[in-house]
Amino acid sequence: MQTTASHSPSLAASRPAAPARTAGSVRRSGRTLYLAINIAILAFLLAPIAIVVVFALNPTPFIQFPPVGVSLRWFEKFFASRDFMHALGFSLEVAVLTTVSATILGASAALALARGNLPGTRLIVATMLSPLMLPAILTGLALFQTYVLLDVGRPTWGLVAGHTLVTLPYVVRTTLAVLHNFDTRLEEAARNLGASPLRTFFEVTLPLIKPGVLAGAIFAFIVSFDQFPVSLFLVSPGNETLPVTLFNYLKFDLDGTIGAASVVSIVLAFVVVIGLDRTVGLRSYVKL
Amino acid sequence: MSSTATTRPNGLALFILPSALLFALFFFLPIGLMALMSVLTGNPVVMPKVAFTTRHYARMIGDPYYLEVIWTTIRIGLVTTLVALLIGYPLAHWMARIKSRTGHALLLMAVLAPMLTGIVVRTFAWMTLLSDKGVINETLLAFGLISQPLKLMYSETGIVVGLVHIYVPFMVLTLTGVIGRIDERLEQAAENLGASPLRAFIEVTLPLSLPGILAGSLLVFALAISAYVTPILLGGFQIMTLPILIYQQISANFNVGFAAALGIVLLMISLLLVVAYNRALGLVSGQRELQ
Repeated sequence: MQTTASHSPSLAASRPAAPARTAGSVRRSGRTLYLAINIAILAFLLAPIAIVVVFALNPTPFIQFPPVGVSLRWFEKFFASRDFMHALGFSLEVAVLTTVSATILGASAALALARGNLPGTRLIVATMLSPLMLPAILTGLALFQTYVLLDVGRPTWGLVAGHTLVTLPYVVRTTLAVLHNFDTRLEEAARNLGASPLRTFFEVTLPLIKPGVLAGAIFAFIVSFDQFPVSLFLVSPGNETLPVTLFNYLKFDLDGTIGAASVVSIVLAFVVVIGLDRTVGLRSYVKL
Repeated sequence: MSSTATTRPNGLALFILPSALLFALFFFLPIGLMALMSVLTGNPVVMPKVAFTTRHYARMIGDPYYLEVIWTTIRIGLVTTLVALLIGYPLAHWMARIKSRTGHALLLMAVLAPMLTGIVVRTFAWMTLLSDKGVINETLLAFGLISQPLKLMYSETGIVVGLVHIYVPFMVLTLTGVIGRIDERLEQAAENLGASPLRAFIEVTLPLSLPGILAGSLLVFALAISAYVTPILLGGFQIMTLPILIYQQISANFNVGFAAALGIVLLMISLLLVVAYNRALGLVSGQRELQ
């Protein structure tokens, strides 16, 4: 395509009538190709999610394509299963506890980093964001070994601590982004008008960083709810999170129950995101 | 507050302490213990006599099987990164350049939707697509394009497809930010000077987005080599990668020392990547990020 395009000037020299149309059509077909490629990529991204829904509704007890009908039997089986329901409840419990602790710790840390005049801020931020890139399975393994060595068993707080560690970076990042974007003169103005540092914090700083903190909290919830590698090592048999239960089920069965469970967890994630978007508006904060 | 330009930490600095404590107890201590376990002959709590040993590392280096596992992990990571870059770049470019706000919001949702769908769920989706009786094979058979199912699953190809799908959003989001910061007028200037859109892209936009390419690739590579669910399910327990091997050492063999040594190797690779990633991001944002 590049050669065609770069040759068009010489074509233009030999055939005076053609140039505008040639360049124009090359440009247009380039544009069409660009859109076609992108739409194919979008299809690749979204098709698997659509497929999950199809299999959740398909009544046959094995993978079958094309689907033979529509039934809710897998949803019934999922909601009637004690294992899945227990896992769902446990996952929600862990995700809520994780969100609360990650939000409080992460927002405080971001505040200290942005306003506390700490030395070595760069290094601290890099360290706090590192659980994002370090293999979560190692976080799980290292915590597992520690709990074994300390002989504490596999308590829920141990799992929540692991989840907090891997979700904290999201809160730190979104909160820091807001803290760096807002005008510090607002705080100075409040101080100049006689507000105490504490009052300035509660009446100026906190309301301003709220959207960033909440965006971080949403990420924390979703990441914790879907978290697998940390949980893999830290859950105890009979007390597993939903992703671990799904994984164990998938190892042996490939029926529509997994599809139904998947749809439920997708819907749940979307409800959380859309609900919070409605209440706080997070669109402008979803930036990496 | 900051205008007084005091360099000494103020009261707000204390807010770092809870997180510092969390990291100390649940991150540095466990990783330190893992490093320690990797050079001990056994569990010091239950065994009265433990000694230092390098046997776990010697076993890894001495047995070609383990080197093969490490190489498989890295190979899958490299191919995944390359494909994710090739797929992610056009989409990121579109997202960064699209004019309509609604269009941008829709694209963002399309990229975030897979991220909201857990790893296990997406791996299940790919199993239904790639298995012998899966969507792709059944469709191809129905149209008579193939006479027997293609072996899409239980292979490295299947693993790569699944991993690309899972990690391409990370690539797109990293790249979009970088491409979005490139001044569009530079491309327009190149085009006004007679370059075709493609040439303007190759000579202007692409070089300027290199730091983003680097950052996105390092991130995807780091995530891909530490993946567990996708390689084990799409590889059908037949392809061994480092994370699978680590979990197997714990669950099947309960060889904590060897698992720890494997973990340290994976950690070292990842740490190198984290440092490189931070360098790459530093190139993107210059000194703007912090102070």
